Amino acid sequence: MRSEPALRAFRGTTAFLWTEVLVQKNERLAMVTAMLVQSVILVFVYILNPGLLGVAFVGAILFSTFAMGQRVLNEAAYLRIDHKSIDFYLAGPLAPEAYFLGMSLGILVVYIPPVIVVGVLATLIVPLTLATGLLLLGLAAVLWVFSSSLGYVFSTFFRDNRAIWAYSSLFFNVFGVLVPVFYPLGLFPEALRPIVLLMPPSAAAALVQAAIGVTSLTGPQVALALGGLAVETVAIFLFAIYWARRTVRGV
Amino acid sequence: MTETALASVDLRKVYHSRGAPAVEALRGVTMEVRRGERVALLGRNGAGKTTFLKIASTLLKPTSGSVALFGIDVVAQPDRARPYIAVVPQEGKPFFHLCPREQVYTYLRARGLSRETAQSRTAESLERMGLTEVADRLSITLSGGQRQRTMVATVIATEAPLLFLDEPTIGMDPFARRDVWASLRALTQKGSTILLTTHYLDEAEVLSDRLYIVEHGSVLVSGTAEELKRSVGGTLKVTLANGASQVDRFRSFGECVTDGANLTVVVLPHRLGELMELAVRSQLTATVGPVTLEEAFLRAVGRSIDEE
Ligand SMILES: Nc1ncnc2c1ncn2[C@@H]1O[C@H](COP(=O)(O)OP(=O)(O)OP(=O)(O)O)[C@@H](O)[C@H]1O
Ligand SMILES: [Mg+2]
Repeated sequence: MRSEPALRAFRGTTAFLWTEVLVQKNERLAMVTAMLVQSVILVFVYILNPGLLGVAFVGAILFSTFAMGQRVLNEAAYLRIDHKSIDFYLAGPLAPEAYFLGMSLGILVVYIPPVIVVGVLATLIVPLTLATGLLLLGLAAVLWVFSSSLGYVFSTFFRDNRAIWAYSSLFFNVFGVLVPVFYPLGLFPEALRPIVLLMPPSAAAALVQAAIGVTSLTGPQVALALGGLAVETVAIFLFAIYWARRTVRGV
Repeated sequence: MTETALASVDLRKVYHSRGAPAVEALRGVTMEVRRGERVALLGRNGAGKTTFLKIASTLLKPTSGSVALFGIDVVAQPDRARPYIAVVPQEGKPFFHLCPREQVYTYLRARGLSRETAQSRTAESLERMGLTEVADRLSITLSGGQRQRTMVATVIATEAPLLFLDEPTIGMDPFARRDVWASLRALTQKGSTILLTTHYLDEAEVLSDRLYIVEHGSVLVSGTAEELKRSVGGTLKVTLANGASQVDRFRSFGECVTDGANLTVVVLPHRLGELMELAVRSQLTATVGPVTLEEAFLRAVGRSIDEE
C-alpha cells in the first residue's frame, strides 16, 4: 500500500476548501478591493497611454492570481494566530497538506470571479488567439501555485498579525507591480532584465508579451523565463507541502 | 487499543527564546490516563499545563522524555496519533464568519465524518451546549461565553477517543459549565478519554475522576479529589477572622494556614467543639465549612490557586 500515505495527505482538502469559502463569503468588499490595484493601473494606462492597455490587461490578470498569495499569507497567519486554527484543525485527522491546499483553493474560488470578468474584457482588447489565451491561463495558474505556496510558507514565520500587513503588501507590490508586469519588458533597463526574468510574475508577463508580439525575447531569455518559472514554482510548492506538515508542531 | 490512553514519562520542556533566559516549563512529568477516564491538570498560571497538553497533542516537541497515546509515540509518530485526538486550545476562537452550526458541521466534515453523521452530531452537540437559539448567527455576533461554548461543542461533537481541553469553561456562566460537565461525562460513558486543564477547583472536583496538581513544571500530587482532601488531615475547616496573630494557640488542632490577618484551621469533627470554645475565649469570630480542594491545593503548592 505504497500510495496510501500520499493519498491520505490530501484527504479533507475539499472539506477544508468549503470551510474557507464559507469563511470568506461575507467579505464582499475584500473581493472588490482585491482588484483595486489592477483596476487603478488599468485606468491610469488608459488615460496616459491607451496603446499599452492590452499589455496592462495581461498584467492585471497575472497580478490577480499572483496577489492571491497575499490573501493566503494573511489568512493563514490570521487563522493560526487569532483562532488557533492549527491547534484546532491539525491536532486531528485533517492532513496539514489538505489544510494548506484547501485554504489556497478556497481563496481561489472566492476571488476568481472578478478575475474572470477582467479576463473576458481582456479578450476584447488583447489580440489573443486560442494558443496565447491558453498560455495566459496556464501562466496565471502557475503564478497562483507559486504565490499561494510562498504565502503559506511566509505565514508560518510571523507571531503577530500586525507585522504581516506591512511586509506582505511590500512584497507583493514590489514583485507584482514595480517590475514589468503591467508594462512591456522593453521599457525596463536592459542590464536588469535577466533578474526580472527570474521573478515569476515578470517572467510570466514577458512570456505572454512575447507571444502576443509586444516584446521580443531571445531564445536564451525564453529558456530563462520558462525554466526559472517552472523550477521555482515546483520547488516552492513541494517545499510548502513539506513545510505545512513540519510546522504543525512547534519546537 | 491499549487500556492506557496517555502515558508520559519524565517529560521535560525548556523554551529558548532570543534575548531571554531559557524557561523550564516542564521538569520531568510522568503521568498516566486510562481509557475512559476524565483527568484534570490543576495549577496556577504558568505552571506548565498548556505546555503539557501541547506536547501530548502533537503540537509541540518536548526537550526530552516521551508521551504515548494509545501506545503510539507522539514524538516519533505524530501523524499516527492525530486521528485519535481533538483539542480545545487555550484562547481558541470559532471562525467569526461562520455560524456555530457551520462551524461544527464543517469541522466534522474536515475530520472526515460523513454528511449524515456530521449533521446529526452537529444538531446534538449544539443542543447539548445550549446553542440552538444562536446556531445560525455569525460567531462574531456571539458573546464571549457563547463563542467558548461553540468551541467546546465543536470538539465534543467529534467524539474523538481522546480529547484535550485547555480551560474549556473559561468565561462561561455556571449553567453553561454544568452543560459542559454533563457532555464530558456522557462522552466518557461512550468510551472517550478526557484530559483537561482548569483553574476552577469545583470543576476539577466534580468533573474529574483523578487530578494532578502541577506547579513549576512538576507534578506535586495526584489522586482523586477525595484522596487529596483526605491528605489535608481533617474534614472541616474553621476560618477565624483576624486570628492570624494567635496562630500558635491553634496549632495543636491541625494544619493552620494564615491568609492575611485571617487564620484557617483544618480540624477533625470530634475536636470541633473544643476549637470553638477556644475561639470564643480568644474573642474570635469563627466560620465552619467542609474542607475543599482549595485546602488540598494550598497544602500541596503552598499558595492559593489565584494568588499571584
Ligand atoms: N513559547 C514560549 N516561549 C517561552 N516561554 C514560554 C512559551 N510558552 C510558555 N512559556 C513559559 O512556560 C511556562 C509554562 O507555560 P504554560 O503556558 O504551559 O502554563 P499554563 O500552566 O498553561 O498557564 P496558564 O494557566 O496561565 O494558562 C510559563 O512560565 C511560560 O511563561
Ligand atoms: Mg495554559
